[in-house]
Amino acid sequence: MKVSDVISGALFLALAVFVFVYAQTLPPMPGQRYGAGAFPTLVALGLGGFSLLMIAQAWRRRAGARWVELADWARDGKTLGNFLLALALILVYVFFSERIGFIPLSIAILLILFWRQGIRLGTGAVVAVVATIAIQFAFSDMLRVPLPRGLLAGYLW
Amino acid sequence: MESILKALALIADPYVLAVIAFSAAFGLFVGAMPGLTATMATALLVPITFFMPPVPALAAIVTASAMAIFAGDIPGALLRIPGTPASAAYTDEAYAMTRKGKAELALGAGVVFSAIGGIFGTIVLVAAAPLLAEVAIRFSSFEYFWLVCLGLTCAVFIAQSAPVKGMIALFLGLFVATIGLENPAGLPRFTFGTTDLMGGIEMIPAMVGMFAIAEVLRAMARTQAHLPPPQPVTGSIFRGQWGLLRRYPKQALRGSAIGTAIGALPGAGADIASWITYATSKRFSKEPEKFGTGHVEGIVESGAANNAAVSGAWIPALVFGIPGDSITAIVIGVLYLKNVIPGPLVFEKSPDIVTALFVIFFLANLIMIPFGWAAIKTFKHILRIPREMLMPIVLMFCIVGAFAITNSPFAVGVMLVFGLLGFLMEENGFPVAPVILGIVLGPMLEQSFVTSMIKSDGSFLAFFARPIAGALGAATILVWVAMAWRGFRRFRMGGAPAVSG
Repeated sequence: MKVSDVISGALFLALAVFVFVYAQTLPPMPGQRYGAGAFPTLVALGLGGFSLLMIAQAWRRRAGARWVELADWARDGKTLGNFLLALALILVYVFFSERIGFIPLSIAILLILFWRQGIRLGTGAVVAVVATIAIQFAFSDMLRVPLPRGLLAGYLW
Repeated sequence: MESILKALALIADPYVLAVIAFSAAFGLFVGAMPGLTATMATALLVPITFFMPPVPALAAIVTASAMAIFAGDIPGALLRIPGTPASAAYTDEAYAMTRKGKAELALGAGVVFSAIGGIFGTIVLVAAAPLLAEVAIRFSSFEYFWLVCLGLTCAVFIAQSAPVKGMIALFLGLFVATIGLENPAGLPRFTFGTTDLMGGIEMIPAMVGMFAIAEVLRAMARTQAHLPPPQPVTGSIFRGQWGLLRRYPKQALRGSAIGTAIGALPGAGADIASWITYATSKRFSKEPEKFGTGHVEGIVESGAANNAAVSGAWIPALVFGIPGDSITAIVIGVLYLKNVIPGPLVFEKSPDIVTALFVIFFLANLIMIPFGWAAIKTFKHILRIPREMLMPIVLMFCIVGAFAITNSPFAVGVMLVFGLLGFLMEENGFPVAPVILGIVLGPMLEQSFVTSMIKSDGSFLAFFARPIAGALGAATILVWVAMAWRGFRRFRMGGAPAVSG
């Protein structure tokens, strides 16, 4: 998805204004003139300045250019679907991994993505299970990362 | 001498050697696989190195990145697809050699001169870093402030085709660095009352997002093209290499030297080094007309240069804590996590680790020859792994890797946000490496700025009062003025190339 530099510049400018205003609310260090707000103020000025510069440059060249241009992948239902699906599956992991657990969720995520990539179900299932067990072994058993157990909590070693 | 023995003892540990062998195989695999880059290899390794002591952690990163840069040559020569961006400069040349039936010579030159370049860069690193550190040890917060400014400026301007967008990316990273409690005043900033943000944005999940998740998303948004079968490699890749070395010693030396220097410059890494040295090789060649038709001379020079750059990038990273490229930006983050604070004192405080690092560099470049040979011979089989399967597994690996740093799903969320951000930024021509530089260097920049301002009681003149600080400050401002002037002139001339050129 290509957005005109005018639009992305305006977004960065808005962020800069927010950082600037927020930084002014931070109190200075006791007895000093420079505190927690000094550096963010500087960053906001830099970010804002360069955003303005980009907007100005893009504005002069805007003739004929579209504000938002969808890339090929975003117009094709299949690739757009794959892209959004990957994002959605990560979100599912963020919110549900504690409850469902790493092993079932990982197998499910891999299976869904394999299926969308056109891999045969049988092959996909075997690889999903093997990869999940390998990751579980490497991180949980060797590196001692407490991967969420979720549904499998009383059954795992 | 004693510290070399100690360092050897640290490395001779079977655990460390196993880590080196595994990282070598991993780096070769990632580098040889079209679409996976050396930076991605490093990003994927970092969550694992998080759990290792400093020496094996550094060994893993050094070995994997050196191997990946070389391995990028393999699909370049056999498929005409560079495995990593650092091989792109001479991919057409190498493929032309393959078409003429000289694949063995091209790949052999890739292995041998990669190793030569890497060892040359390492020798410069070993010799120059401690010397520079003796100068750097007298630096105060003023010098550091200018040094970081100069480093960040170069990082954005040397390499980038879109300097304004690079600066925006850099300031975005600096902003991310201000989130949380970690600041000289110890006040929570931009946390909005959430405890998750109090600790700040962790560098590792952010980096995994930008360098690996963004890549996964790109692969998802693309229909995978099926790769053609690679050209077979039947003969010995080492036949004729001695002859090449005798015929092109100047080229190998020039490539190594320029590569090391470019690597040491902040912001420019292996890919720029190989483009520039391919050009110098053609420029000074006695047979420039042969370039592009399957002539090995350019491969000798730029193949040496990109691996020399990998070593050279560690010079500023170790001595000043300023990364030379995106891989060392990641490395600096890892060093901080391991409580090995990069900077001139690292040579006094952790001499064993530094010496061990140097030995690992030599070792990694030496084992490149047998490991590289094996990778070339098995390349046909590596390609049998369907790439459609690889990306979902990489995704799962990233999720677990990000989670492992703080054991909280919040880190996975951070990874997702930065992955999407990185994807959208690249789609719109914003470079992502400056964001990571900003996140890594932000705390150091703020610390040196605030300390200096307090010391000088708010006077900017103090930033120029010490001789080295004054010189560094003047140089930085000179670069800024030159850039502003160039931008202004382009802007007045109609602005067309100002953003993209």
